[in-house]
Amino acid sequence: MIEIAGLGKRYGAKTAIDDVTFAVRPGRVTGFLGPNGAGKSTTLRVLLGLDHPDRGAALIGGRRYRELRHPLRTVGALLDGAGPVPERRAVDHLVWIAQSNRIPRRRVWEVLELAGLGGAAKRRVREYSLGMRQRLGIAAALLGDPEVLVLDEPVNGLDPDGIRWVRGLLREYADSGRTVLLSSHLMAETAGTADDVVVIAGGRIVAQGPLAEVTAGHASLEKAFFALTGDREGR
Amino acid sequence: MTAVRYVIRAELTKIVSLRAVWLVTGVVVALHLLVCTANAGNTADAVSEITPDGLIELFAGERRPARPALVEFLVASSFQMGLFLPAIAAVAAGQEFRSHQLGRSLLAVPGRTRLIVAKTVAIAGFLLAVSVVVAGISGAYMYAAVKDWDPGLPVSAEAWAGQGKFVVFAVLTGLISAAVTILAQGTLAGIVVTVVLMALTLTQVAAAYAPALDALLPLSAGRNLLLDPAGSRLTAGAGHALAVLVAWPLVTMTAAGVALNRRDAA
Repeated sequence: MIEIAGLGKRYGAKTAIDDVTFAVRPGRVTGFLGPNGAGKSTTLRVLLGLDHPDRGAALIGGRRYRELRHPLRTVGALLDGAGPVPERRAVDHLVWIAQSNRIPRRRVWEVLELAGLGGAAKRRVREYSLGMRQRLGIAAALLGDPEVLVLDEPVNGLDPDGIRWVRGLLREYADSGRTVLLSSHLMAETAGTADDVVVIAGGRIVAQGPLAEVTAGHASLEKAFFALTGDREGR
Repeated sequence: MTAVRYVIRAELTKIVSLRAVWLVTGVVVALHLLVCTANAGNTADAVSEITPDGLIELFAGERRPARPALVEFLVASSFQMGLFLPAIAAVAAGQEFRSHQLGRSLLAVPGRTRLIVAKTVAIAGFLLAVSVVVAGISGAYMYAAVKDWDPGLPVSAEAWAGQGKFVVFAVLTGLISAAVTILAQGTLAGIVVTVVLMALTLTQVAAAYAPALDALLPLSAGRNLLLDPAGSRLTAGAGHALAVLVAWPLVTMTAAGVALNRRDAA
């Protein structure tokens, strides 16, 4: 369970998010939608302890991320601003992450196989395509077999096969009673995967609830999104 | 404590799995081998010409008792490579600011203090290993030069003490470089600040006008700790030097930890 209450964050004079409040329930895939600069990444960065909130709280299972002893065993995350050093081999990248959270080495190979990177594990990350890097990021998120997944644009750069893999993975995760928070720009993709949606615009939450409820009265999630975020396309 | 041990292991893996670290380490070791090889002939010649009353002329016109002079030469040989070892620390610490790795590190270890402690120990461990290799090379070349005169000199108590001080100096100054790199959030900045600190000593400006100030500089403290006052003009005693060498990484690493705690992840 993820609970975000009254979260606020400013970068200098700019308010990135203001009074952001929502919850992500176990057993559901929750889509987190918003235009560029709406505050999605800031919310996720604060949730995951990378940035300090100015006010409010972001809790995972009732605790702040920073309070988790072996966080990767509870939360798996894929964030844009948290990447591997390109000259390091993919397997070494995952090995140090696993060691830091006392995750057995064999799990590194399991997630590499799961992500379809078993054959490329000893290649340096700089030799990876965008899609392979994305798969590596997802593999890192899965290392600790966590109860909670927080993924920022997970299908970016993936080919259709990769997109299908992610979609199945998220569904499987949620169906096993775990919590999935998925940030995305892709409306069709989110509509096909999410059970619940949270829409953020201008740093504030403008809608949240089950997908059917949020899209009620609109032809599609995309139409609902543009209507909620004030874009003329939705009118 | 156990949790920190695992983070230290992870930090060591980060260091040894980075090609740039091995590249810089290789350059430093190769440079040391080159310098030692270049000096080997002259040192052997000087040893072969040690006078019956035990004097050696390692540098033209400068006759000194052979044993302390050779021990100091051995330690100085290692010490000169100590100037380059901070670059290894800067590269090891600076990787966090490449491709936003710091974000990934903080996802894995959100406790900033734990991360900085583990990083400090891991970098110190790697520097320790490299500086022992450097000291070993110096010792091997010295053995080759003195084996017919006093083969036990490179492993004498004086030599061990001197080489030990070098290792302490190398690790502590390396940590300063790592801390500055974290503070400045970049490898280049870490190297530049370290070079500036060294230049202040090497130019001897502070030593000439304010010896007390000079004694507070890390490289000057290294000289004061390692070199023989009889053979070199020093600005403070060994105890003062050790205190300075411990204080620098302590203060800079603490500052780096505070900065890491207060800042958002880059």
